Amino acid sequence: MEKGFDLGLAVAEANRCLLCHDAPCSKGCPADTDPATFIRKLKFKNIKGAIRTIKNNNTLGASCGALCPSANLCEKECSATGLDKPVRIAKIQRFLIEHSWNIAFNPIEKLCASREKVAVVGAGPAGLSCAAELAKNGYQVTIFEEKPEAGGVLRYGVPEHRLSKDFLAKELEDLNKLGVEFKCGIKIKGSDAAEKLFNEGYKAVFFAPGLWKAVKFKNAAAEGLFSSTDFLSGLRDKKSEELKKYIKDKNVAVIGGGSVAIDCAESALKFGAKDVYIAYRRSYAQMPAEKDELIGALEAGVHILPLNKPADYIIDNGKITGIKLIRTKLGDKDSSGRRSPVEIKDSEWILEANIIIEAIGNEVSEDVPLKENLTTADKNCCKTSIKGVFAGGDIVRGPSLVVNAVKDGKAAAESIKKYLGGKEPA
Amino acid sequence: MTAARDLSVDFCGVKFKNPFMLASSPVSNTGEMVGRAFDAGWAGVAFKTIATGDTKIIHPSPRMHGYNAGDKKLLGLQNVEQVSDRSLKDNLADVTNLKKEWPEHVVMASIMGFSNKEWSDLAKACTDAGADILELNFSCPHMTVEGSGYKVGQANELITRFTETVKKATNIPVVAKMTPNITDMNEPAMFAKKGGADGISAINTIRGISEVGINDWIPRPNVGGKGAISGYSGPAIKPVGLRFIAEMAQNKELGLPLSGIGGIETWVDALEYILVGAATVQVTTGIIHYGYKIVEDMIEGLQDYMADKNIKKVSDLIGKALPNLCDTNKFDLKRQGLAEYDLTRCVGCGQCYTVCQDAGGQALKWNSIDRRPDLDEDKCLSCMICSFVCPVDGMITYREKR
Repeated sequence: MEKGFDLGLAVAEANRCLLCHDAPCSKGCPADTDPATFIRKLKFKNIKGAIRTIKNNNTLGASCGALCPSANLCEKECSATGLDKPVRIAKIQRFLIEHSWNIAFNPIEKLCASREKVAVVGAGPAGLSCAAELAKNGYQVTIFEEKPEAGGVLRYGVPEHRLSKDFLAKELEDLNKLGVEFKCGIKIKGSDAAEKLFNEGYKAVFFAPGLWKAVKFKNAAAEGLFSSTDFLSGLRDKKSEELKKYIKDKNVAVIGGGSVAIDCAESALKFGAKDVYIAYRRSYAQMPAEKDELIGALEAGVHILPLNKPADYIIDNGKITGIKLIRTKLGDKDSSGRRSPVEIKDSEWILEANIIIEAIGNEVSEDVPLKENLTTADKNCCKTSIKGVFAGGDIVRGPSLVVNAVKDGKAAAESIKKYLGGKEPA
Repeated sequence: MTAARDLSVDFCGVKFKNPFMLASSPVSNTGEMVGRAFDAGWAGVAFKTIATGDTKIIHPSPRMHGYNAGDKKLLGLQNVEQVSDRSLKDNLADVTNLKKEWPEHVVMASIMGFSNKEWSDLAKACTDAGADILELNFSCPHMTVEGSGYKVGQANELITRFTETVKKATNIPVVAKMTPNITDMNEPAMFAKKGGADGISAINTIRGISEVGINDWIPRPNVGGKGAISGYSGPAIKPVGLRFIAEMAQNKELGLPLSGIGGIETWVDALEYILVGAATVQVTTGIIHYGYKIVEDMIEGLQDYMADKNIKKVSDLIGKALPNLCDTNKFDLKRQGLAEYDLTRCVGCGQCYTVCQDAGGQALKWNSIDRRPDLDEDKCLSCMICSFVCPVDGMITYREKR
């Protein structure tokens, strides 16, 4: 992972904070993390208090600090931008939580014991934050996770260089401390999924299974063709060494323009790919990835090919050997308000590639239980049409940020507390 | 390009190429160090206090402690430094050599004796070694022996007696270096004058505690588990230094040339000392923080300032602010003003609002939609604290009401 701040750098950055009245940064966080308060606390040497502020608001404070596109969130609102540049809030946040690990300070505690049993399906950011909030309030929470280990997108959706295994393990310690039970490698399925859990004694269920089915550009199967989810999770699971060997010295073409495309391209480079290309049908400025990520990828050696639209895959003997691209130019605005790419006649060309990674989005898998009920859940309170069943995260809102999943997890916990009546334990 | 101005100035009848000197301290400890400082541009040195060497000097370890305020490092510096721990012979050889190699530069030998005889012997020895001026250290802030260091500076009769003794033993100018650890510096300064002093240096460091260890409960610097109240210097004490120099410069009976010391890092700091009456200035903590090279900016900055203001010589600046320094009962209270906001430059942090609410006149309303303050002029106290906390330089200014 990129090196974080040390205490000196964090304090120096906190000293750039203008200590705004009615601080706009604190209004810029979907998960209600409160930068104005934790930065002020750091500045006035109240370091434990600063850690407490983050942890009370966000059980995934370090992960958000490492992964948030903060330039578009809290830092976008920072008043110091009017002077020169925003305070690097996300880096301060990440530092404070890493510092809490170093000094073994954890303010998280169970407020009371032995309320009802609640099931959480999916150990991604939404499920984890819902579980933490409930467990703090005394509920007995079990998380069911299909994959071998907890973390969801934090483990299987981003590469190790953005969020390492050790880092994640430390972040998950809060849940262990709160007594949350993890049941990994268990797939919850079927139209009676909720009913079965109720029968097992769970009084409420929060579904946050995420989106793990990749959108396909072309219905093809060939050696060397990957979806971004298969590629990124493949680098984090047991067979990762095999995949890393496979990548070495290959030419790689990534399709897409978002953060996930960047993650795939940079990972391929890290594991020894010869040349890595990102093909994107719109312009560079239209790429959804954060500016810092794009520049980082360019500097790492990724070749970004904007205004190049994939047309076909070249397959020889069942193996990918190249990708056919068509050059585009920007035409009139489309329904999204962006100028749309228009193909340039006779401009097809072949980019030699042994690996193609499709990073053009994820959608709901067919085997998600209660699909209709989950995808139509209320985006604010996470209630579904089934009593006692709640849903949040990407399954409800579509592909989105970790911090939005955290927000949903917290909102679901509130709804579940209300639903269960918040009765004092017997 | 502005033409380089002549910065030379007279102090006690000795010509300095510019007003900038090293103070007697670790930065002027050896001839080798001082030589490099002269090459960097410093016009003179108060050579690290020379004693007879009869008592072996062992420095405490560690001997200093820094005081940081927010992101400002070394806002202050505390030390338990003693007089020179080198042999008298080595120090005298350095003085001689410095005058031989750098004849245009001024060597003021700082001395400290523990008896009349020691003061006399040291004065003779340093004069014979070639020093231009003697500076009598009446002000080391952490001496424990009665009749030495700042305890001399607090005992007026001793000041006169030791100054007289030195004057008898030498024919070069004698400057008394005063302690600020008193109420009124004019009193001991007059006793120095009575003893024949030709000039005054001030201030030595202020007795203080720069930090207390909150885990070990040991005041700093932590010398083997103990701390001591001792000399505190640096930018934090500049206002105190300016005050003592101004008070002595206003004293017509005293009428001695002054060398200003305390918290000087830039030409602006130096100029402020000159404007309240100093002819030369001395620097230690600034050099401990940044090295000898800061003198380059002091020289260039002062030259440009003098060119801009068309001032021919440094002596024309000495004491120029004194006519405007008065007691508070001389203020014209009919003249009132208010804070004026240039909101086109506002970045919307609202710190002005916070401090006006909690420490000012509650004269601001906060427009949370536009994130801008809105001043009720009738309520403004013109305390100007809003301008002190505003991050935009010059956005909030004082305007006199007409």
